[in-house]
Amino acid sequence: MNEQGNERFLISPFLVFFIIHCSQVGVGVLSFQRAVMKEAGHDSWMSVIVASCVVHVLIWIVYKIFQSAPNAEDIVSLHAQYLGKWLGNLLSVLLLIYFFLLALTVLRTYIEIIQVWMFSLIGAWQFSLIFLLLTYYTVLGGFRVVVGLCFWGVVIPLWVILPMLFFPLEYAHYRNLLPIFDHSLIDIFRGAKAMTVQYLGFEMLLMYYSFLKHPEQSHKWAQWGNAFTTLIYLIVIFISLVFYNEEQVQHIIWPTLTLAKIPEVPFIERMEYIVLSIYVLVIFPIICLAVWSVSRGAKRIFSIKQRKSVPIILSLLFVVSLFIVQRENIEKLNMLTSKIGFYVVIVYIPVLYIYISIAKRFKKTVQQ
Amino acid sequence: MKRIAFILLIMLALTGCKNYRVVDEVQIIQAMGYDVKNGNYIGTAIYPTFKQGPMTKPNILTTSSSTTYDLIPRLSSKSALPIEEGQLRLVLFGEEFAKGGITEVVHSLARNNKIGSRLQLAVAKGDAEELLRITAKKTLSDTLYLSNLVEQNIRAMNLPKMNLHLFLYNYFGKGRDPFLPYFEKKGDFVKLEGIALFKDGRFVGKVNLRDSFLVKVLLNETKNGMYQLRVADYRKKEESRVLLQNLFARSRYEWKKRGERPVLTISIHIQAAVKDYPSWLDMPQKNTLKMVREKMEKDIETSVKNLMEYFKEKEVDPLGIGDFVRSQTRNWNEEEFYREYKEIDIRPHVKVDIIQTGIGE
Repeated sequence: MNEQGNERFLISPFLVFFIIHCSQVGVGVLSFQRAVMKEAGHDSWMSVIVASCVVHVLIWIVYKIFQSAPNAEDIVSLHAQYLGKWLGNLLSVLLLIYFFLLALTVLRTYIEIIQVWMFSLIGAWQFSLIFLLLTYYTVLGGFRVVVGLCFWGVVIPLWVILPMLFFPLEYAHYRNLLPIFDHSLIDIFRGAKAMTVQYLGFEMLLMYYSFLKHPEQSHKWAQWGNAFTTLIYLIVIFISLVFYNEEQVQHIIWPTLTLAKIPEVPFIERMEYIVLSIYVLVIFPIICLAVWSVSRGAKRIFSIKQRKSVPIILSLLFVVSLFIVQRENIEKLNMLTSKIGFYVVIVYIPVLYIYISIAKRFKKTVQQ
Repeated sequence: MKRIAFILLIMLALTGCKNYRVVDEVQIIQAMGYDVKNGNYIGTAIYPTFKQGPMTKPNILTTSSSTTYDLIPRLSSKSALPIEEGQLRLVLFGEEFAKGGITEVVHSLARNNKIGSRLQLAVAKGDAEELLRITAKKTLSDTLYLSNLVEQNIRAMNLPKMNLHLFLYNYFGKGRDPFLPYFEKKGDFVKLEGIALFKDGRFVGKVNLRDSFLVKVLLNETKNGMYQLRVADYRKKEESRVLLQNLFARSRYEWKKRGERPVLTISIHIQAAVKDYPSWLDMPQKNTLKMVREKMEKDIETSVKNLMEYFKEKEVDPLGIGDFVRSQTRNWNEEEFYREYKEIDIRPHVKVDIIQTGIGE
């Protein structure tokens, strides 16, 4: 509670737009087409919309949880209040491990992309060392610095990367989108399931909720943030659908980066290198936010100062990322994280909400 | 103090990133040829060497191997500088090689992150090596000759759009087959002869340059292309030709499956300029214009029909008719469609509008 009164640690409600959007769009946007189009083919864009609707509801639930438990500062105190100290803290720790995995997955996947596309000889440790030192610097600057990074991590790539995705329309086959509804509803929902993991990241809201100045006002911005993410995914999937066909996409690991191979300007022939370099700005805030969430959680549970916990978390990230070398294992890590994330948001958050509202009603009747 | 230590640490880490390639210390291959002779694969690479100033001299490296995979590593063993394929613009396949299938090579190109999506692929009549040697000779002396030739013909003439991306698109996609430009040696020159058709990655047939105009129009590429037509004069009983320049063309397909035979109606609308015509055809007069127009329409209709018959006979679908039918029918099945591919009744309807005849009469 001590920080809640302190205005200088809080952020304006509209910045939630950038945090939500930034934490959702990560390495996934470079490769999500494959998984979705495998299930829903050329109707994939419907899966994107269905998944987005689900996430809109989930964000609403997160806000509802905090509104129905006004004493809780964040998920840690909420757990402690409603589930008791031991079980509550155990769940909080599990959630922190998930956030750690999130940071690890994003970091390792990005390094893999750098290795495959740009510097095949670079060792993973060189890159992750520089990256994690920067993260250390940022996270210790506090939550407001992380949020500032999120802001720039949305604005700059938006102007640099997004326009490049429109060049491939030179080879568009708009007929690919027809016939609409060629896939069964089950296929579309399967695609939506594959798509939901691309919206992961918004659940970190559970950690930083207490840092919002007027939480009720920020709700609409959080929804807009998710809507904007949907727009980006829709643009990318539409362009991919008309540029590739379903079978071709299955042979491409990062379809979005291959899209960026098409624009050609006289002074630089291959745009994917520019896209990849700028993409650091997309990746970096996510890692910072996840590391910040873990350290914040550690502080709330075990009262460890962030100045002490952040180096530990970062060195853990560094060491673990050293051991994941093969592409196969990176793929496995991605699968694992997205699976856990999927159940965290789809099962855990709604169950928590139902539990809290029942517990509250129960308490009320007991008090009467 | 802390900050300085931090910066020093980062600099230390950066020393590992010495992954650079200086332009004049690598050999940039700009075209590559693949041939097969007596079961042995022959790779030919053509690269520029930079002499004084802007002058470049094309050079050639060849090597042979029993597989296609190690051709580039083997080329390295003949080269003083490391070979870079990042600037590869054209890959030329010899006819024999193309008949055996180009899938392996194209897959490896598609996987290679250094290679651009706009790379051109082509087929050579005879040996790819021979054609590449011609482009390296004194008369042409240009490492980019063939790739520029293809691109120029796509932009302004009869060649439909093609590159590595489109090849893969047509290759992987259901209901369509890929095609590539086809080159032939003519004396000391290389000449574009039309389009080579592929089926499952194998070269199976070709279309001449005149008919590739029709392919271009049928693929719904709206601009460019030249087409020569025969017009006969009833009175003089002599045959002459009219040269048509396509200004804007559009083709529309319509699929109907009633009764036993499926019907594909193709409506083509060409807005054209007449470039050259015989003197007896007095252009500005309305009735001759109409006569020419009708002649043209009929001529194009029969040509389209013949072209489609040829595709059916070779069982290839470069126009993506299967893909078009897929977009019109639910639960389209590729095998089922191609089983009755030969049965399709093709009905072309052509409409030609002559909107320019030049600035003189």
